[in-house]
Amino acid sequence: MTTFASSSDRRRQDSDHRFKTVDYTSNVLQLFMEGLEGRPSAQVLDLGPVCQENIRFLARRVERLYVCDMFIRLERCLGKGDPVDRIWHELDYPPENFDGILIWELADRLDDGEVKALVRLCHTLLKPGGMAVVLVLGEQAASLRVNSFVVGQNFRVGLRSQPHLHLPIRGRQNRDILAMMTPLKPAKSFICRLGFMEFLFTRD
Amino acid sequence: MKEQNSSLMKKNIFNYFKKGVPMLKKNKKVDIENKPSIIRDPVQGRTIIGEKIAIDGAIRGREDLFIEGSVKGRIEVEAHHLTVGPRGQVEAEIQAANVTISGRLVGNINATGRVKITKEADFNGEIKAKSISVEDGAYLKAVIELKREPDKKPVPVAKPEEKSASEPLKEPFTLAGKSSKRN
Repeated sequence: MTTFASSSDRRRQDSDHRFKTVDYTSNVLQLFMEGLEGRPSAQVLDLGPVCQENIRFLARRVERLYVCDMFIRLERCLGKGDPVDRIWHELDYPPENFDGILIWELADRLDDGEVKALVRLCHTLLKPGGMAVVLVLGEQAASLRVNSFVVGQNFRVGLRSQPHLHLPIRGRQNRDILAMMTPLKPAKSFICRLGFMEFLFTRD
Repeated sequence: MKEQNSSLMKKNIFNYFKKGVPMLKKNKKVDIENKPSIIRDPVQGRTIIGEKIAIDGAIRGREDLFIEGSVKGRIEVEAHHLTVGPRGQVEAEIQAANVTISGRLVGNINATGRVKITKEADFNGEIKAKSISVEDGAYLKAVIELKREPDKKPVPVAKPEEKSASEPLKEPFTLAGKSSKRN
Protein backbone atom coordinates (compact mmCIF):
# COMPACT_ATOMS: atom_id res chain seq x y z
CA MET A 1 0.00 0.00 0.00
CA THR A 2 1.34 3.38 -0.91
CA THR A 3 1.37 6.06 1.72
CA PHE A 4 1.52 9.74 0.98
CA ALA A 5 3.28 12.25 3.12
CA SER A 6 1.63 15.63 3.52
CA SER A 7 3.53 18.62 2.21
CA SER A 8 4.31 19.72 5.78
CA ASP A 9 5.65 16.22 6.56
CA ARG A 10 7.81 16.31 3.43
CA ARG A 11 9.05 19.78 4.32
CA ARG A 12 9.92 18.64 7.84
CA GLN A 13 11.64 15.46 6.62
CA ASP A 14 13.58 17.48 4.09
CA SER A 15 14.54 20.01 6.72
CA ASP A 16 15.57 17.22 9.13
CA HIS A 17 17.76 15.65 6.46
CA ARG A 18 19.43 18.89 5.43
CA PHE A 19 19.82 19.97 9.04
CA LYS A 20 21.49 16.69 9.95
CA THR A 21 24.10 17.16 7.28
CA VAL A 22 24.77 20.84 7.92
CA ASP A 23 28.35 21.75 8.59
CA TYR A 24 29.39 25.38 8.81
CA THR A 25 31.99 27.68 10.26
CA SER A 26 30.70 29.49 13.32
CA ASN A 27 31.66 33.16 13.35
CA VAL A 28 29.92 33.71 16.67
CA LEU A 29 31.91 30.98 18.41
CA GLN A 30 35.10 32.42 17.01
CA LEU A 31 34.19 35.86 18.35
CA PHE A 32 33.22 34.29 21.65
CA MET A 33 36.57 32.52 22.03
CA GLU A 34 38.51 35.59 20.92
CA GLY A 35 36.64 37.59 23.55
CA LEU A 36 37.62 35.08 26.23
CA GLU A 37 41.30 35.30 25.32
CA GLY A 38 41.47 38.76 26.84
CA ARG A 39 39.96 37.55 30.10
CA PRO A 40 42.44 35.80 32.39
CA SER A 41 41.19 32.71 34.23
CA ALA A 42 38.06 32.64 32.11
CA GLN A 43 35.09 30.64 33.36
CA VAL A 44 32.48 29.45 30.90
CA LEU A 45 29.08 27.82 31.43
CA ASP A 46 27.78 25.41 28.79
CA LEU A 47 24.03 24.74 29.05
CA GLY A 48 24.21 21.62 26.89
CA PRO A 49 23.23 19.21 25.53
CA VAL A 50 26.23 17.37 26.92
CA CYS A 51 28.74 16.88 24.13
CA GLN A 52 32.19 15.39 24.54
CA GLU A 53 33.76 17.33 21.69
CA ASN A 54 32.55 20.65 23.06
CA ILE A 55 33.70 19.81 26.57
CA ARG A 56 37.17 18.99 25.30
CA PHE A 57 37.25 22.02 23.00
CA LEU A 58 36.26 24.42 25.76
CA ALA A 59 38.08 22.81 28.68
CA ARG A 60 41.38 23.13 26.81
CA ARG A 61 40.78 26.83 26.23
CA VAL A 62 39.36 28.13 29.49
CA GLU A 63 40.46 27.90 33.11
CA ARG A 64 37.26 26.28 34.37
CA LEU A 65 34.41 24.89 32.33
CA TYR A 66 31.00 24.52 33.94
CA VAL A 67 28.57 22.17 32.27
CA CYS A 68 24.93 22.03 33.32
CA ASP A 69 22.81 20.24 30.73
CA MET A 70 19.53 22.15 30.83
CA PHE A 71 18.12 20.30 27.83
CA ILE A 72 17.95 16.98 29.66
CA ARG A 73 16.61 18.74 32.76
CA LEU A 74 13.92 20.39 30.66
CA GLU A 75 13.05 17.04 29.05
CA ARG A 76 12.66 15.36 32.45
CA CYS A 77 10.75 18.31 33.89
CA LEU A 78 8.26 18.35 31.00
CA GLY A 79 8.00 14.55 31.13
CA LYS A 80 6.90 14.73 34.79
CA GLY A 81 4.55 17.61 34.10
CA ASP A 82 6.45 19.86 36.52
CA PRO A 83 6.61 23.64 36.05
CA VAL A 84 9.67 24.64 34.04
CA ASP A 85 10.62 27.20 36.72
CA ARG A 86 12.01 24.31 38.76
CA ILE A 87 14.97 23.77 36.47
CA TRP A 88 16.35 27.26 37.09
CA HIS A 89 17.33 26.15 40.60
CA GLU A 90 20.03 24.07 38.95
CA LEU A 91 21.77 27.26 37.84
CA ASP A 92 22.60 28.11 41.44
CA TYR A 93 25.97 29.70 40.71
CA PRO A 94 27.25 32.90 42.34
CA PRO A 95 26.41 36.17 40.59
CA GLU A 96 28.94 37.50 38.07
CA ASN A 97 30.70 34.15 37.96
CA PHE A 98 31.05 33.62 34.21
CA ASP A 99 32.89 35.27 31.37
CA GLY A 100 30.73 33.43 28.88
CA ILE A 101 27.56 31.34 28.71
CA LEU A 102 26.68 29.03 25.83
CA ILE A 103 22.90 28.97 25.70
CA TRP A 104 22.87 27.35 22.24
CA GLU A 105 19.27 26.83 21.10
CA LEU A 106 17.75 26.44 24.57
CA ALA A 107 15.73 29.66 24.24
CA ASP A 108 13.96 28.23 21.19
CA ARG A 109 12.72 25.33 23.37
CA LEU A 110 11.07 27.60 25.94
CA ASP A 111 8.03 29.82 25.91
CA ASP A 112 8.39 33.60 26.08
CA GLY A 113 8.09 33.88 29.87
CA GLU A 114 10.59 31.08 30.40
CA VAL A 115 13.06 32.67 28.00
CA LYS A 116 12.85 35.93 29.90
CA ALA A 117 13.50 34.10 33.19
CA LEU A 118 16.50 32.35 31.64
CA VAL A 119 17.89 35.60 30.24
CA ARG A 120 17.53 37.43 33.57
CA LEU A 121 19.35 34.56 35.25
CA CYS A 122 22.14 34.54 32.66
CA HIS A 123 22.47 38.31 33.04
CA THR A 124 23.09 37.96 36.78
CA LEU A 125 25.54 35.08 36.25
CA LEU A 126 27.65 36.94 33.67
CA LYS A 127 30.49 39.20 34.68
CA PRO A 128 30.34 42.74 33.27
CA GLY A 129 31.44 42.46 29.65
CA GLY A 130 30.63 38.75 29.65
CA MET A 131 29.18 37.12 26.53
CA ALA A 132 26.32 34.77 25.72
CA VAL A 133 25.94 32.66 22.57
CA VAL A 134 22.40 32.03 21.39
CA LEU A 135 21.26 30.04 18.36
CA VAL A 136 17.81 30.38 16.88
CA LEU A 137 16.73 27.62 14.55
CA GLY A 138 14.07 29.61 12.75
CA GLU A 139 11.02 28.16 11.02
CA GLN A 140 12.91 26.29 8.31
CA ALA A 141 15.19 24.38 10.61
CA ALA A 142 12.69 23.86 13.41
CA SER A 143 12.54 20.28 14.59
CA LEU A 144 11.34 18.55 17.73
CA ARG A 145 14.50 16.55 17.66
CA VAL A 146 17.33 18.24 19.50
CA ASN A 147 20.78 18.40 17.98
CA SER A 148 24.00 19.24 19.68
CA PHE A 149 26.20 21.71 17.84
CA VAL A 150 29.51 19.90 17.81
CA VAL A 151 32.46 22.26 17.60
CA GLY A 152 35.43 21.02 15.61
CA GLN A 153 38.68 22.45 14.36
CA ASN A 154 38.70 26.04 13.14
CA PHE A 155 35.17 26.51 14.48
CA ARG A 156 33.60 24.10 12.02
CA VAL A 157 30.32 23.05 13.56
CA GLY A 158 28.50 19.85 12.74
CA LEU A 159 25.20 18.68 14.16
CA ARG A 160 24.62 15.47 16.06
CA SER A 161 21.13 14.23 16.80
CA GLN A 162 20.23 13.64 20.44
CA PRO A 163 17.59 10.92 20.16
CA HIS A 164 16.93 10.97 23.91
CA LEU A 165 15.74 14.59 23.73
CA HIS A 166 12.38 15.62 22.30
CA LEU A 167 11.51 19.18 23.16
CA PRO A 168 8.96 21.65 21.84
CA ILE A 169 10.31 24.13 19.32
CA ARG A 170 9.11 27.71 18.88
CA GLY A 171 10.74 28.57 15.54
CA ARG A 172 10.98 32.28 16.31
CA GLN A 173 12.03 35.15 14.08
CA ASN A 174 15.20 37.00 15.05
CA ARG A 175 13.32 40.15 16.07
CA ASP A 176 11.27 38.09 18.55
CA ILE A 177 14.41 36.70 20.12
CA LEU A 178 16.01 40.15 20.29
CA ALA A 179 12.97 41.49 22.08
CA MET A 180 13.19 38.74 24.71
CA MET A 181 16.92 38.97 25.40
CA THR A 182 16.79 42.23 27.36
CA PRO A 183 18.78 43.19 29.48
CA LEU A 184 21.53 41.46 27.48
CA LYS A 185 22.79 43.61 24.63
CA PRO A 186 23.04 42.23 21.09
CA ALA A 187 26.59 42.48 19.74
CA LYS A 188 26.65 40.42 16.53
CA SER A 189 24.48 38.09 14.59
CA PHE A 190 24.88 35.88 11.55
CA ILE A 191 22.36 34.09 9.40
CA CYS A 192 23.47 30.59 8.50
CA ARG A 193 22.28 28.02 6.05
CA LEU A 194 18.74 26.75 6.49
CA GLY A 195 17.84 30.04 8.04
CA PHE A 196 19.11 29.46 11.53
CA MET A 197 20.81 32.34 13.26
CA GLU A 198 23.73 32.79 15.60
CA PHE A 199 23.72 35.65 18.09
CA LEU A 200 26.35 37.03 20.41
CA PHE A 201 25.01 39.03 23.35
CA THR A 202 26.99 40.88 25.98
CA ARG A 203 26.41 42.20 29.44
CA ASP A 204 27.26 45.88 29.99
CA MET B 1 43.97 -36.99 48.78
CA LYS B 2 45.67 -33.64 49.37
CA GLU B 3 45.84 -33.02 45.61
CA GLN B 4 42.17 -33.96 45.26
CA ASN B 5 41.21 -31.47 48.00
CA SER B 6 43.30 -28.76 46.45
CA SER B 7 41.71 -29.30 43.05
CA LEU B 8 38.23 -29.28 44.61
CA MET B 9 39.03 -26.03 46.42
CA LYS B 10 40.26 -24.41 43.22
CA LYS B 11 37.08 -25.49 41.48
CA ASN B 12 34.94 -24.03 44.29
CA ILE B 13 36.79 -20.72 44.25
CA PHE B 14 36.37 -20.55 40.50
CA ASN B 15 32.64 -21.20 40.80
CA TYR B 16 32.34 -18.68 43.62
CA PHE B 17 33.76 -15.88 41.52
CA LYS B 18 32.00 -17.08 38.42
CA LYS B 19 28.64 -16.82 40.12
CA GLY B 20 29.44 -13.95 42.41
CA VAL B 21 30.17 -11.22 39.88
CA PRO B 22 26.75 -10.22 38.57
CA MET B 23 27.97 -7.45 36.27
CA LEU B 24 30.08 -9.88 34.30
CA LYS B 25 27.07 -12.05 33.47
CA LYS B 26 24.61 -9.76 31.80
CA ASN B 27 21.96 -12.28 30.91
CA LYS B 28 22.20 -14.47 33.94
CA LYS B 29 20.03 -13.88 37.00
CA VAL B 30 22.11 -13.97 40.13
CA ASP B 31 20.72 -14.63 43.58
CA ILE B 32 22.41 -11.69 45.29
CA GLU B 33 20.90 -12.52 48.71
CA ASN B 34 23.06 -15.61 48.95
CA LYS B 35 26.26 -14.06 47.69
CA PRO B 36 28.80 -12.02 49.65
CA SER B 37 28.55 -8.35 48.74
CA ILE B 38 32.18 -7.36 48.96
CA ILE B 39 34.26 -9.69 46.91
CA ARG B 40 37.57 -9.73 45.20
CA ASP B 41 37.54 -10.59 41.54
CA PRO B 42 40.98 -12.14 40.99
CA VAL B 43 40.47 -12.41 37.25
CA GLN B 44 40.18 -8.67 36.79
CA GLY B 45 42.20 -7.83 39.91
CA ARG B 46 39.54 -5.65 41.46
CA THR B 47 37.29 -5.42 44.47
CA ILE B 48 33.55 -5.25 43.95
CA ILE B 49 31.22 -3.58 46.42
CA GLY B 50 27.85 -5.15 45.73
CA GLU B 51 24.54 -3.33 45.67
CA LYS B 52 23.48 -4.57 49.11
CA ILE B 53 26.41 -2.84 50.78
CA ALA B 54 26.47 0.70 52.19
CA ILE B 55 29.75 2.17 53.39
CA ASP B 56 30.08 5.41 55.30
CA GLY B 57 33.72 6.45 55.73
CA ALA B 58 37.00 6.25 53.90
CA ILE B 59 38.13 3.60 51.46
CA ARG B 60 41.79 3.29 50.58
CA GLY B 61 42.93 0.66 48.15
CA ARG B 62 45.74 -0.62 46.01
CA GLU B 63 43.67 -2.23 43.32
CA ASP B 64 40.77 -1.35 41.04
CA LEU B 65 37.42 -0.83 42.70
CA PHE B 66 33.95 -1.42 41.28
CA ILE B 67 31.03 0.03 43.22
CA GLU B 68 27.47 -1.17 42.76
CA GLY B 69 26.46 -0.33 46.31
CA SER B 70 26.29 2.89 48.28
CA VAL B 71 29.39 4.73 49.44
CA LYS B 72 29.62 8.00 51.34
CA GLY B 73 32.91 9.58 52.35
CA ARG B 74 36.30 9.39 50.71
CA ILE B 75 37.75 6.98 48.15
CA GLU B 76 41.45 6.76 47.43
CA VAL B 77 42.70 4.26 44.88
CA GLU B 78 45.48 6.45 43.64
CA ALA B 79 47.13 4.36 40.96
CA HIS B 80 44.01 2.43 40.06
CA HIS B 81 40.67 2.53 38.34
CA LEU B 82 37.43 3.34 40.13
CA THR B 83 34.15 2.39 38.48
CA VAL B 84 30.75 3.45 39.74
CA GLY B 85 28.47 0.86 38.16
CA PRO B 86 24.94 1.53 36.91
CA ARG B 87 23.46 0.71 40.34
CA GLY B 88 26.17 2.51 42.31
CA GLN B 89 25.30 5.49 44.53
CA VAL B 90 28.35 7.43 45.63
CA GLU B 91 28.79 10.66 47.56
CA ALA B 92 32.50 11.08 47.95
CA GLU B 93 35.76 12.85 47.37
CA ILE B 94 37.65 10.67 44.94
CA GLN B 95 41.32 10.26 44.22
CA ALA B 96 42.11 7.74 41.48
CA ALA B 97 44.11 7.20 38.32
CA ASN B 98 41.06 6.66 36.12
CA VAL B 99 37.37 6.90 36.91
CA THR B 100 34.35 5.51 35.03
CA ILE B 101 30.90 6.68 36.08
CA SER B 102 27.78 4.81 35.02
CA GLY B 103 25.76 5.33 38.20
CA ARG B 104 25.07 8.25 40.50
CA LEU B 105 28.00 10.22 41.83
CA VAL B 106 27.97 13.43 43.83
CA GLY B 107 31.40 14.73 44.73
CA ASN B 108 34.73 15.82 43.44
CA ILE B 109 37.08 13.72 41.36
CA ASN B 110 40.80 14.20 41.19
CA ALA B 111 42.16 11.82 38.58
CA THR B 112 45.68 11.59 37.28
CA GLY B 113 44.39 9.96 34.11
CA ARG B 114 41.04 9.78 32.41
CA VAL B 115 37.48 10.28 33.58
CA LYS B 116 34.79 8.54 31.56
CA ILE B 117 31.13 9.42 32.00
CA THR B 118 28.69 7.09 30.30
CA LYS B 119 25.17 7.88 29.16
CA GLU B 120 23.66 6.16 32.23
CA ALA B 121 25.59 8.43 34.61
CA ASP B 122 24.16 11.08 36.91
CA PHE B 123 27.08 13.22 38.03
CA ASN B 124 27.20 16.39 40.07
CA GLY B 125 30.56 17.76 41.13
CA GLU B 126 33.99 18.84 40.10
CA ILE B 127 36.37 16.95 37.84
CA LYS B 128 40.10 17.50 37.67
CA ALA B 129 41.65 15.10 35.21
CA LYS B 130 44.11 14.76 32.38
CA SER B 131 41.38 13.87 29.91
CA ILE B 132 37.66 13.34 29.90
CA SER B 133 35.12 11.51 27.80
CA VAL B 134 31.37 11.99 28.09
CA GLU B 135 28.64 10.10 26.28
CA ASP B 136 25.62 11.94 24.91
CA GLY B 137 22.71 11.58 27.31
CA ALA B 138 24.69 11.72 30.55
CA TYR B 139 22.93 13.72 33.28
CA LEU B 140 25.63 16.15 34.14
CA LYS B 141 26.30 19.16 36.28
CA ALA B 142 30.02 19.56 36.47
CA VAL B 143 32.96 21.88 36.82
CA ILE B 144 35.74 20.61 34.61
CA GLU B 145 39.41 21.44 34.82
CA LEU B 146 41.73 19.56 32.52
CA LYS B 147 45.22 19.31 33.89
CA ARG B 148 47.78 21.00 31.71
CA GLU B 149 51.45 20.36 31.59
CA PRO B 150 53.43 22.93 33.61
CA ASP B 151 53.91 26.27 31.79
CA LYS B 152 51.45 25.21 29.11
CA LYS B 153 48.90 27.92 28.46
CA PRO B 154 45.37 27.36 27.20
CA VAL B 155 45.10 26.57 23.48
CA PRO B 156 44.87 29.85 21.55
CA VAL B 157 42.01 30.53 19.22
CA ALA B 158 42.78 29.26 15.71
CA LYS B 159 41.19 31.32 13.00
CA PRO B 160 39.33 29.62 10.18
CA GLU B 161 41.71 29.25 7.26
CA GLU B 162 39.32 29.64 4.40
CA LYS B 163 35.72 30.39 3.70
CA SER B 164 33.63 27.61 2.27
CA ALA B 165 30.31 27.27 0.53
CA SER B 166 28.57 26.59 3.83
CA GLU B 167 29.60 29.88 5.35
CA PRO B 168 26.90 32.12 6.74
CA LEU B 169 24.95 33.63 3.88
CA LYS B 170 25.21 37.20 5.06
CA GLU B 171 28.37 38.38 6.72
CA PRO B 172 27.64 39.86 9.29
CA PHE B 173 24.54 41.95 9.60
CA THR B 174 24.48 44.51 12.34
CA LEU B 175 21.66 44.40 14.78
CA ALA B 176 19.51 47.27 15.88
CA GLY B 177 21.41 47.33 19.19
CA LYS B 178 25.03 47.93 19.95
CA SER B 179 27.41 46.44 17.45
CA SER B 180 31.06 45.52 17.68
CA LYS B 181 33.15 45.63 14.53
CA ARG B 182 35.58 42.88 13.73
CA ASN B 183 39.00 43.51 12.29
